[in-house]
Amino acid sequence: MQPDAAVLVAALALPFVAVPFVPALFRVVGQRVAFFAAAVAAGSFGLLATQYGAHGAVQLPWIPSLGVSLTLYVDGLALLIGFLASGVGVLVFTYSYGYMAHEHGHVKYYATLLAFMGSMLGVAFAADLLALFVFWELTSVTSFLLIGHHQREDASQYAARKSMLITVAGGLFMLAGFLVLAFASGDTAAGRTFVLIGTENSLIANGEAVREALRAAGLFVPALALVAVGAITKSAQAPFHVWLPNAMEAPTPVSAFLHSATMVKAGVYLVGRFRPLFAPELPSVPEWTLLLATLGLVSMTITAILAVGATDIKELLAYSTASHLGLIIAGYGLAGPAAVELGAETGAFHIFNHAVFKATLFLVAGIIAHEAHTRKLEELGGLAGDLPIVAGITGIAALGMAGVPPFNGFWSKELLFETTYFVAVEHGGLYWLYPAIAVFGSVFTFLYSIRFLMLFFGDRPSGLADDIHRPPLAMLAPPALLAAIALATGIVPQLGIDAVVQSAFEASLPVAAEAHSLTLSIPKLFSFTPYLGMSLLTVGLGAVAYPFYGRLHAGVRWARAVDYTSPNWYYDGLTEGANGVSRRLAVGLHGGAFRTYVAPLLLGTAVLALAGYAAAGSISVDGVGAVPPVPLIVVLGVAVVGAGAVARAPSHIAGVLTLSVLGFMVAIVFILANAPDLALTQLVIETLVLVLFLLVLDRLPAYYGEIRSRARGIADAALASLVGFTVFATVLVATSASPEEPIFQYFLARAGVPAEHGPFFSDFGGGSNVVNVILVDFRAFDTLGEIAVVAMAALSVLTLVGMRAQTETEMAERPESDSADDPAATPATDGGRGPPPASADDPAPSDGTDGSGGVDR
Amino acid sequence: MSEDREPTVIVKTVTRTVVPLIALTAIALLIKGHNLPGGGFIAGVLTTTAFALLYVIYGLDTVRRDLVTNAGGVGLLSGPTQSYTRAFAGGLALAFGSGVAAMLFDVPFLTQAVVFVDGIPLYGELEFASALAFDLGVYFVVVGSLLTIIAVVGKE
Repeated sequence: MQPDAAVLVAALALPFVAVPFVPALFRVVGQRVAFFAAAVAAGSFGLLATQYGAHGAVQLPWIPSLGVSLTLYVDGLALLIGFLASGVGVLVFTYSYGYMAHEHGHVKYYATLLAFMGSMLGVAFAADLLALFVFWELTSVTSFLLIGHHQREDASQYAARKSMLITVAGGLFMLAGFLVLAFASGDTAAGRTFVLIGTENSLIANGEAVREALRAAGLFVPALALVAVGAITKSAQAPFHVWLPNAMEAPTPVSAFLHSATMVKAGVYLVGRFRPLFAPELPSVPEWTLLLATLGLVSMTITAILAVGATDIKELLAYSTASHLGLIIAGYGLAGPAAVELGAETGAFHIFNHAVFKATLFLVAGIIAHEAHTRKLEELGGLAGDLPIVAGITGIAALGMAGVPPFNGFWSKELLFETTYFVAVEHGGLYWLYPAIAVFGSVFTFLYSIRFLMLFFGDRPSGLADDIHRPPLAMLAPPALLAAIALATGIVPQLGIDAVVQSAFEASLPVAAEAHSLTLSIPKLFSFTPYLGMSLLTVGLGAVAYPFYGRLHAGVRWARAVDYTSPNWYYDGLTEGANGVSRRLAVGLHGGAFRTYVAPLLLGTAVLALAGYAAAGSISVDGVGAVPPVPLIVVLGVAVVGAGAVARAPSHIAGVLTLSVLGFMVAIVFILANAPDLALTQLVIETLVLVLFLLVLDRLPAYYGEIRSRARGIADAALASLVGFTVFATVLVATSASPEEPIFQYFLARAGVPAEHGPFFSDFGGGSNVVNVILVDFRAFDTLGEIAVVAMAALSVLTLVGMRAQTETEMAERPESDSADDPAATPATDGGRGPPPASADDPAPSDGTDGSGGVDR
Repeated sequence: MSEDREPTVIVKTVTRTVVPLIALTAIALLIKGHNLPGGGFIAGVLTTTAFALLYVIYGLDTVRRDLVTNAGGVGLLSGPTQSYTRAFAGGLALAFGSGVAAMLFDVPFLTQAVVFVDGIPLYGELEFASALAFDLGVYFVVVGSLLTIIAVVGKE
């Protein structure tokens, strides 16, 4: 079945379209806007559901003149992610109604969450690499707002910045990878394309040719690594997992949404999506496996160990999320003859299972924090008596997370064991490390899952509040529904497989591969296999080790405290170092001395322009040496004298007046060159500038034209000469071009009134002043842009001056206010220059007469 | 200008005479621009020059009090500045709108047309160019923007 373009676009656009209605609706219905958002999510879900079973691409013209179109692609994997994002979205919005009741910023919260959901759907369905990148970064930006929801708290700010820096930076690596891919595709018969999948010319359809082009250029591994960096930063794999635990500062529904079903799933989605491109069916193990499977398994183990060291329930879940994403990446990463199909099954099935049980557990964590008013592991316990239903829900989800048969997580973890086992059997040697690491990491997964479950059992700590209420229905129903899905998938795994997983894993197989259908059921457990043994070993080891959980926990905390082992230490060092550098840089570059702004600017412009001309070899000497007519020599001679007088002028007044001599001479040059319009403009502008100078002249400091030292004078003269030469060379270059058919002939022919004409026409200019007709007709678009710039200049002057006035008032009212908590203000005050922020000292580009800028001390 | 440098009577009188003449010239340049040297930009700068002359000779306060009677607005936008900002906003809208108007006739954005009308007293046949609307927009943007800058910087 071909997907329906209209339905698909509607499903994607619905969340974005709904965003502007949130503020208005909030005024009318208050917090019940949550249900509006849930309805929007349900609408997207419903629209996507009509595309169930569809497979193929739809192309929508976007910028047809550039051949750019928006390509959307529907297959099992895209639908799986789309269903998770919109389906869990419905539940999270409903749950938010209960959870956010006593919080602030509802409008921002719901609007951003909707936009985030829309971006995530975009990631799932975009087949065009550029569109994919845009949606990808949109999820980063919106999640920045969501993680930093409590925007006044330092921890939230830190967490939001961290997630933004890491995921956006990773996204840029990914973009570089996309560009490499697109350029490599330019060397294939199909031609350059940004379309990843779905069309005849797409990268995946021509995978063989693209891979060969990449290898020929030596770019296969770099491209793979660049795309992988994007995926592993987003999916919080070691060593980039550090943003995920901090991101728990977000309200719990956000954590549940971002870190179970959406944001972090974007990374693993990318891995699954690119798998057919990078991991073809080969007799050997591809680089893909060496890179991603190794990274996934190591990351899974490290973060599982860190989860055991967690003290906060959300921190535990965060590390466990990173760990399970490692499992998914390892699954997709395992390729090669023995694992090409099993690996994809592992990845796709665990995406589904993890989303279901992890969303449940996050929602449970929210209930616990909401009702027991603490998230500390050691302060919680024995909650089953107060929250019996929640305990049951947690049992299903936590045992699924632990991988205990027959709960849902068991099935996909079993697939991972099976895959690693077959890879090891096939290749032998060091590949036996794969199953070993998988079991080792899973033991820790088992441990922390049971620890989470034990919140509900055992002794009740004495400090725990007595009045733990049952949560409201809006908070209880979503996790209950998810737990029911988890339970059903656990007992009859074929349900989940048939619904979405089968078609989702087929999307990650090599193009030519024939997929067999995956069948799993409980009776299979009664025939012993080595990988079933691995599962039993995991559970057994976990059960033996659980009594020593306290010691393990302390050991992990001790190891974490060592600076050099923690990626956080490096992150903090880098960002704080960068802060220091940028502060010094700001003071150095933005110290208020006009010279430091102007000199590098002029030097850079001159050098770049001259280097450009030299590189293009376009400086011609045609026409140099021709003698101009006498009047021109006289006028230019006066101009040169004026220029010399400017340099020697003793005061501002004399300087301005002699400078205007120069300007008026240029006007006369225009007159001599038969350009009355230009001459008129030049005259009027010159007059206006003169008047303006006179207006502000007595505000300028009396200091004028003083040369401090001989060396500085020589440097200035050299710079001035260089700029002069650059302008000279520019004139030469600009006037030496002589195209075959000069455009002015067209203008001359079309500007006037045609010899025979009716009372109305629009194909001729109808004016005898060609210059004006060019300005308002032929090149009216340019003029429109120019007057927009003029208006913007006025607006910026207005804003800059207005900001200064405002800041001064604020500073006067609150003498010791912002400088402490606003780092942006520090550079300005550091320099000992008083309160106005540096921006107010910028002379506006258009007037050049700012009262304080021109001083060089 | 500071108090101790009060302009002379001669300058004041000359300004009084010259400013209307400059304004008239500016309008002539604007309207005749399609066929003779001139146009919206030049006319705009010239008009601004007239205002700037008034500012220099008579001072900000006189202009604010006697010439621009608009007293609305808040803070920086109060008084004449508000009229100026409206002028450039309106000008931009006019220029843009004249482009959009072309699209209503199913021709590309900013296509200009010319209409000849017969039988106008005194003139006979007269040419109306739609470009004049666009040029008028340019004129207002230039006048409004430059005067905003002068007024704001002058206030400082």
